[in-house]
Amino acid sequence: MAAILDQIEPLKQAALAEFGAASDLTALEQARVSYLGSNGKFTALMKQLGSLPKEEKPAAGKVINSAKAELEAALARRREELELKAALPKEPTDFTLPGRRRVLGRLHPLTQVTEAIVRSFRKIGFVVADGPEVEDDYHCFDALNTPADHPARDTQDTFYLAAPAGAAPALLRTHTSSVQIRVMRKQPPPVRIIVPGRVYRRDNADATHNPTFQQVEGLYVDRQVTVGDLKGTVEFVFKELMGPDTRIRFRPHYFSYTEPSFEIDFSSALTRKMGKEWLEIAGCGMVHPQVFENVGYDPEVWTGWAFGFGIERIAMIRYGINDIRLFYQNDLRFLSQF
Amino acid sequence: MKVTFNWLKEYVDFDWSPADLAERLTMLGLEVEGVEKVGGEFDGIVVAEVITREKHPNADKLSVCRVHDGTGERQIVCGADNFKPGDKVPLILPGKTLPAKPGEAPFTIKVGKIRGVESHGMMCSPKELGLAEDAQGLMILRPDARVGQPFAEYLGGAQSDVVYDLEITPNRPDLNSVIGIAREIAALTGNELKWPEVKLSETEPGAETWVRVRVEDGELCPRYNARVIRGVKIGPSPAWLAGALEKLGVRSINNVVDVTNYVMFEVGQPLHAFDYRLLSKSPGAACPTIVVRRAGAGERFMTLDGQERILAEGMLLIADETKAVALAGIMGGQNSEIQPDTTDVLIESACFKPQNIRATSKRLDLRTESSYRFERGSDIGICDWASRRAAQLILQTAGGSLAAGAVDACAAPIRPRQVTLRHAKVSELLGVELPPEAIENYLSRLELKIVGRKPRPVGAPAGPSEPVTFAIPTFRVDLKREVDLIEEVARLYGVDRIPATPPRGAIGANAYDAVHDELAEARRILTGLGLFEAQGQTLISASAAALVAAGSAVSLGKPLSSDMDTLRPSLLPGLLDALQHNISYKTYDVALFELGRVFQTQPASGPGAAPEIREMRRAAIALTGRRQPLFWSGEDREAKFDIFDLKGLVEEFCEQFGLRGLSYVRRAEPTALFLESAVIQLGRLQIGELGQLQPMLARKYDLRDAVLLAELDLDQVLVRRITTRSFKPLPAYPAIRRDVAMVVPETTTHEAILQVVKQAKPAHLESVELFDVFRGGNVPAGQKSMAYAFTYRSGERSLTDAEANASHQRLVEQFKQRLGAVIRE
Repeated sequence: MAAILDQIEPLKQAALAEFGAASDLTALEQARVSYLGSNGKFTALMKQLGSLPKEEKPAAGKVINSAKAELEAALARRREELELKAALPKEPTDFTLPGRRRVLGRLHPLTQVTEAIVRSFRKIGFVVADGPEVEDDYHCFDALNTPADHPARDTQDTFYLAAPAGAAPALLRTHTSSVQIRVMRKQPPPVRIIVPGRVYRRDNADATHNPTFQQVEGLYVDRQVTVGDLKGTVEFVFKELMGPDTRIRFRPHYFSYTEPSFEIDFSSALTRKMGKEWLEIAGCGMVHPQVFENVGYDPEVWTGWAFGFGIERIAMIRYGINDIRLFYQNDLRFLSQF
Repeated sequence: MKVTFNWLKEYVDFDWSPADLAERLTMLGLEVEGVEKVGGEFDGIVVAEVITREKHPNADKLSVCRVHDGTGERQIVCGADNFKPGDKVPLILPGKTLPAKPGEAPFTIKVGKIRGVESHGMMCSPKELGLAEDAQGLMILRPDARVGQPFAEYLGGAQSDVVYDLEITPNRPDLNSVIGIAREIAALTGNELKWPEVKLSETEPGAETWVRVRVEDGELCPRYNARVIRGVKIGPSPAWLAGALEKLGVRSINNVVDVTNYVMFEVGQPLHAFDYRLLSKSPGAACPTIVVRRAGAGERFMTLDGQERILAEGMLLIADETKAVALAGIMGGQNSEIQPDTTDVLIESACFKPQNIRATSKRLDLRTESSYRFERGSDIGICDWASRRAAQLILQTAGGSLAAGAVDACAAPIRPRQVTLRHAKVSELLGVELPPEAIENYLSRLELKIVGRKPRPVGAPAGPSEPVTFAIPTFRVDLKREVDLIEEVARLYGVDRIPATPPRGAIGANAYDAVHDELAEARRILTGLGLFEAQGQTLISASAAALVAAGSAVSLGKPLSSDMDTLRPSLLPGLLDALQHNISYKTYDVALFELGRVFQTQPASGPGAAPEIREMRRAAIALTGRRQPLFWSGEDREAKFDIFDLKGLVEEFCEQFGLRGLSYVRRAEPTALFLESAVIQLGRLQIGELGQLQPMLARKYDLRDAVLLAELDLDQVLVRRITTRSFKPLPAYPAIRRDVAMVVPETTTHEAILQVVKQAKPAHLESVELFDVFRGGNVPAGQKSMAYAFTYRSGERSLTDAEANASHQRLVEQFKQRLGAVIRE
């Protein structure tokens, strides 16, 4: 008995050493077979247990089993270590290499600005309305209190479409204000809409002009609407758009379809960065009673205001863009910046 | 409109600095677009005389001049050609700086060689001096200018002044004059407007002995005032007069013409001076008669700019009994203008119908300071005063003696317009409470006079708040109704003082609101698919439009250029332009989409009806270059976009957006745009197309890789999309997959195979997927192998293999029978 027990410890130590020395899973398996396999050295030792006297068996068995458990645990540990080692790539990964990118496209900056404008108006009860870009003189001018011989028509150089001789040519709307007329003729007051969209002027393209550009128009008609409401709304929207430090000022101006009319200047960190305290940004005013009469609203009951501004201008100020033509070239180097 | 600080001060007192004044005017509605200091700013600029002028030895368009600057001669190289030796010009000396324009860096003059010849200074144009917007050539000064005199002094004394450039809105013609602007300041300050005192000594017999006036059309000319001055001496204007005009960018001509211009700028009334001796009288008449008449069609008339104008009926002329002498309100005639030897002068001060002046000026493409004022509406009440003022200044600067009075033809008595105001409406519209006295005070400061109050209803309390009627001064042609008066109150009260009130009131409603969100959703999906949003020009060339819509494109009447003469009938030409632009800047991999409107004509609905223009919304995609962003390893990394990239994008977009059941029908022939393409259909409805660009076109647009284009009719898509979603319970039982690979003729489409599946309706079939198409190898030429995976599943129990096999086998038999498919084992 003493002979068996004496062999256990050295054999165990030898096995542990061999397991530890195995450099890969194959070597470890060979070591396992040579000790714990059916013909292994340790297995052979266990087989000798049977030859021991009955009273010695439990004590000897206990020693052997504990040694075997120790070996198996060591084997499992070593196997995990070697498996982990085998799973690693030959060379460590260079985590500074660029990854394999999936492209996410981007919205055009004018779309982004339009959406920002729409979002801020919607917070205060406005909905979005729309109208045709091909218009007629009535909706674009006459109904807006700008008859054919009115000097104000001079400042809006209009694209007329080709038309058969004798027919009144259609035109490309020069402002989104034409939608005011279409909406008011269609629905009874109150009205609370904004209208983003493309408009057209006969300007040759340069850094500040493009024959196509985009505007947003706001129209609010209700009982007892005042200039104060107009100021409050304009202030709210521009603070949303241009930041909470934005200040607004109104200056008297002239538009044929509003009375009184104002131009709106704003002032913020952005304007000061451009070296200006005030920057003209929009036009507005109280809807002219003649316009109400033209659409069949009673100006004695309803009052309202409208304002409009250029989307490109907002985007140019917001992002510091210096050439309007960039918006329509669709250069990816431009589009991917927003 | 330009006006100077010092000139304004002659008519009204105010104690604002020049900067304060700019701010006040701006807030009153006269936006100050530019402010320039005159005086300090012309440091180093002197009056010089050109001695000689020779051609530059090395440049055709330059000349080499010797000029005298008052202290000595210097050599100057000059590019202008409107001057000759003897002319006096402004000269800036080396080391001195030109007045800076807003936003520009100041420009300092240096001694330098221009094309090899030294130049010691620069002779200046009015534009370089900031005195005019644009000007050709040098500023030629009056012959009496003293050589060496500082230019600022020449312009009107050494005293510094400030020139304001004001934006006058078209409704306020009364502000196109110094007195008009001073009147605004007077109203704002409450100070008195100081009219120049006009006292005339009339030493000649009455005007009616010298001229008669016959107005044939009193509607087009409601007033015509003629005054005669005899024995004037035409000559250069005195420095104060010429300087005043030159500060406004107007060239001095002679004393009489300068006076008419000066009075126009002073009070806003355009005047015209005729050489009296050139007005002919009819035989036997004692004096000439001014006839205000309409032109005959085709009548020819030489205006004083030397251009012969062909007139149309309805244009208004000033004539004598034998000939026309002026185009009314626009420009005088060459046949009657003031000459160096003119002695007797007739001053016209009239009022013309704005619409008529505007139509004539537009038709002849002839715009003048005079037409500018008349077409906006002149003050019928000022004609005689302006004429008297001109007479006073002519007597003062050109001598002569004045005929007594004037011949003043007035079609109807001048009656001021009346407008009634309800005080309560002011507060109602402005959102600020103003006492009735304050309202009336503001309006009276603007020279509106109360002419009556509505009688107070019986029993109502007395007070000034009954509606009050105002007489509108004749110079305020813009004040027509109550709301116009309210605006005046707002201006004088101060728009800044109106408090802003938080948004309130009705919630809006409009059918388009939801559509706006749908479009935003479409954009969101398309960007998620890796496409960048583009926005193209609406105006494109007719040739680009013809690629996609021959015959139905909408043309502009008067295009700016042939590049932009047609409304886009499709978004695809614009996307091609965008691809071309990117590739010209060496961005070769481009994937874009655009959502936008297109325009096409619809054939006329009936005989004689005009074709209708339709606006439609479209969504379009364009791809070229590499499919994936650059990566540093991998087999397929250089792969280029192909038609199935495009189709995959269209399919994914449609599925995400809620459009099911599309089919793709190949076009048998190439089109103008596409090499190979398919129509996208929803049932029988065509809702779009997709395909590959013609290689010849690709070359024209400098596109070297395949270009894939798709366009969808977004209006139809919006109508047809299904956005409702309902939950299906997750499958509770396992699925069984069976694959089949079959060899079929090349002409057998995927769609044909799916049709067989659909008609066979195999039991428990859940889905079918194509996973391989293979040609070559064992597959005979003209045939292809297509491999499909079929998934079978029951919702009630686990299927057995036998059940799945039975169902699948029946399907395979159908492939063999219906398609002649050979099943590969």
